[in-house]
Amino acid sequence: MTPLKTVGHGTHRIDALQRVTGAAKYTSDLHLSGMLYARVLRSPHPHARIRKIDVSKAMALPGVKAILTHENCDTTWSSGDQLNQRKLFNNPVRFAGDPVAAIAAVDRHIAEDATHLIEVEYEVLPFLTDLEEALKPGAVAIHEGGNLSLNNQRQPVPQTYKRGNVADGLKAADHVFEDNFTSAHHNNAQLEMRVSVAEWSGDKLTVHAATQGIANCRTDIAKDLKLNVDNVRVISEYMGGGFGNKNQCQDSDLMAALLAKQAGAPVKLEFTRKEDFVAVHGRWSSRQSYKVGVKNDGTLTAIQFTALSGAGAYRKGSCDLSGTEIYQVPNLETSVSPVYTNTAVAANYRAPAYPQAVFGIESLMDDVAYALKMDPMEFRLKNMTRKFRDQTPYTSIGLEDCIRKGAEKFGWNQRWKPVAGSGDGPVKRGAGMAMGMFGSGLGRSSAVLRLDGQGQYHLHVGVTDVGTAAKTTMGLIAAEELGVPLEKVKVVWGDTDTCPYSVGESGSRTTVQTGMAVIEAVRDLKKQVAEKGAPKGNDVYTAMATTNPPPIQGASRNSFAAHFAEVEVNIETGHAIVTRFVSAHDSGRVVNPLTAQSQVQGGAIQGIGMALHEELLYDKRSGQPLNAGYYGARIMTHLDAPLVDVVWVETDEPYGPFGAKTLGEPTIIPTVAAVANAIHNAIGRRVKSLPITRDKILQALAKKGDVA
Amino acid sequence: MKKISRRRFVEGTSAGIVAVAAVPAVQAQQKTPPAAAEPATTTGANPSVPRTTIKINVNGVDRRVEVEDRWTLVELLRDHLQLTGTKIGCDRGECGACTVLVDGTPLYSCSQLAVWMNGRSITTVEGLAKNGKLDPLQEAFIEHDAPQCGYCTSGQLMIAKALLMKNAHPTRDEVRTAMTGNLCRCSNYNHYVEAVMAAGGTAPATGGGNAA
Repeated sequence: MTPLKTVGHGTHRIDALQRVTGAAKYTSDLHLSGMLYARVLRSPHPHARIRKIDVSKAMALPGVKAILTHENCDTTWSSGDQLNQRKLFNNPVRFAGDPVAAIAAVDRHIAEDATHLIEVEYEVLPFLTDLEEALKPGAVAIHEGGNLSLNNQRQPVPQTYKRGNVADGLKAADHVFEDNFTSAHHNNAQLEMRVSVAEWSGDKLTVHAATQGIANCRTDIAKDLKLNVDNVRVISEYMGGGFGNKNQCQDSDLMAALLAKQAGAPVKLEFTRKEDFVAVHGRWSSRQSYKVGVKNDGTLTAIQFTALSGAGAYRKGSCDLSGTEIYQVPNLETSVSPVYTNTAVAANYRAPAYPQAVFGIESLMDDVAYALKMDPMEFRLKNMTRKFRDQTPYTSIGLEDCIRKGAEKFGWNQRWKPVAGSGDGPVKRGAGMAMGMFGSGLGRSSAVLRLDGQGQYHLHVGVTDVGTAAKTTMGLIAAEELGVPLEKVKVVWGDTDTCPYSVGESGSRTTVQTGMAVIEAVRDLKKQVAEKGAPKGNDVYTAMATTNPPPIQGASRNSFAAHFAEVEVNIETGHAIVTRFVSAHDSGRVVNPLTAQSQVQGGAIQGIGMALHEELLYDKRSGQPLNAGYYGARIMTHLDAPLVDVVWVETDEPYGPFGAKTLGEPTIIPTVAAVANAIHNAIGRRVKSLPITRDKILQALAKKGDVA
Repeated sequence: MKKISRRRFVEGTSAGIVAVAAVPAVQAQQKTPPAAAEPATTTGANPSVPRTTIKINVNGVDRRVEVEDRWTLVELLRDHLQLTGTKIGCDRGECGACTVLVDGTPLYSCSQLAVWMNGRSITTVEGLAKNGKLDPLQEAFIEHDAPQCGYCTSGQLMIAKALLMKNAHPTRDEVRTAMTGNLCRCSNYNHYVEAVMAAGGTAPATGGGNAA
């Protein structure tokens, strides 16, 4: 791979100064003149019909300026549910936390006080918290048509994929392995809670949104509020994390806009931390069943995968589960059924369909390797994907190098124990690994580049920078293609009035998609300069590019990763900590190794939390969430976090900006499985449900067997 | 059933609904003695919310402020003194995003009432740079790419500042222990620890974390 001048060199964020001085303005930092503060009243019941709602006492409270309920607000929140008509305020309410009213008042204390003055009469309905129970005959229907959600073609059947013939494949196998795994709903839990500030000027609406994608947020708001898209402006200058939680437009954006309209004043609506856990969304839970056929020499002959996924009360996400694709196998069947329950909604969280499913398949493959007395790493090298879905070549694939170089950095041969559970003393050490992949398709995006008479470039891109350093990345790509230092490129971002369409920071697509538009804009501008000479004085040249490349024919473009974990498990207390971690990634050329390293280390540490701690628990008898908040969720802290070593496998990738592939989401995909496999290697027992908490470890050790 | 908000709980009163919106009287005085705090104007109808005038020093500036007794310190800083560098990540003492120094001690400002600050000196992230020069910690945070989304960064800076004031050259484990009450969901802990150790002159070759 040819080294480049700017791209590929560790570079500080262009807005680092603002981030370390408190100068960066996040949505909640805004104070508009005459601005009101809003709060939301939520259902205390997991499932209930609202018989009567009386807001008169709340409205009479001095300082209260506007109240929305289902009685005066029929607005649909389109991106809140892909299949059902989810309103901002639903009747019946379908989970403890479903919005019942929103109140705007002159300060947040009054808004909070007013929520207690709204009188709601509920008819309490039977509720469901369990996936299997939701599918039993006679179970209360949460949506019309029952609790088995439709597939992505809107049919009341599971989402399926098939190649070859699994029955034949299992028949041809020397051994058939079967097992079940489960994973819990857990929360994105980004530090910045959901917040929106809305302001009307005549029929023009400005929403300061904490969003991962200003362009999609804007079109969603226009659609749901029935406004011309030109009359909606979305601004997100700094954003405090999302991990998939803040894609598109959120209910808070719509509520703030409608409250502001009713009150005739700007409104700031902030959700609380508890609301962020119960009423926003987290990763969908799963119940996974596998059947795997394998030859004596370790060659896979078939995989059958059947699963339920927990959508929660609405169908906000795909609820798909993807993990089997990392294996080369001629016969494969997968079937995933999203199921409704009266619990918190599930939707996108960093590689939404992957880490929980990879935990299942990679745990089982580990067991297969042990059973065949094979080193799990050798087993993976033998069976890892070589072609996408066994047939389409990859544009580039560095998975084998990820495994080999990662293993070398980690010290796999010294750290992995051929006999799981061996070793003396109460603290047992073990090593595990897992692999993962993620699509890195090209797609539509735009960029605008201006060059003024002073030689300064202004790059307008519709990115928000959710923490990924996206605007620095865009600047680096422009500087590289222009052949100028980064300082010559001023990046303009985060405002739909000044920035063209970008896909938004979801699907790990910004670098690849908006990056290609930036390159196209640079090429156009360079052509103008070549034709006319550089602009002088007050002259300005402008180049605009919209790229919408057709799908790559005959090849699949993917990123790959292999992760390695070492754990210490205290078999007396059940306490497990990760002591060493290596993340090896093929994301093609790395545009900014400094900020990319932050991404990889952060993704791994998030994944360790998912493996060991995180679960939103529900009381089955009351349907109430039990541990909504940071203490209850036990997300990773400074003391929990291991040092994560990063290994780059920079494949020569023919597509994408300078050969860059996707990175943000793959960073968490194999992590959970690697930790789970390390725990098995340490204690000689398999814990088959996430999170792998102390009680499950102790239970596994006490039962002298695995724990479902 | 009437819920008790955290603020009311912290405040220790269970009075009925009180309703006052305030434009606070805030004066900044550096050299001259503090002027009398102006009475707050109210936009709500109930002026009976208890209010107290307090004297505080914020980032080296003496101020006299009339505050509602139910305001938390972070509320005073962000909503009324326009110091929005301090962030609210949970508003319930779990995450550390709101960490400030009070007389040099790091505290969660969401869990302190503003009235308790009478006579005390508060340092926020805006007070770290001196005479236009960044604090070495801020330099190190930039150098080591410590902030990702940046929302927890102010709190991480303030807890790290408190640590370095007490212990100029902390070990990796001392940094991690001191900062463990400050969550980062981007989970950039390795780079945070690396940055603090660099500022303390004890930088390891690579990041922080559990060592095997």
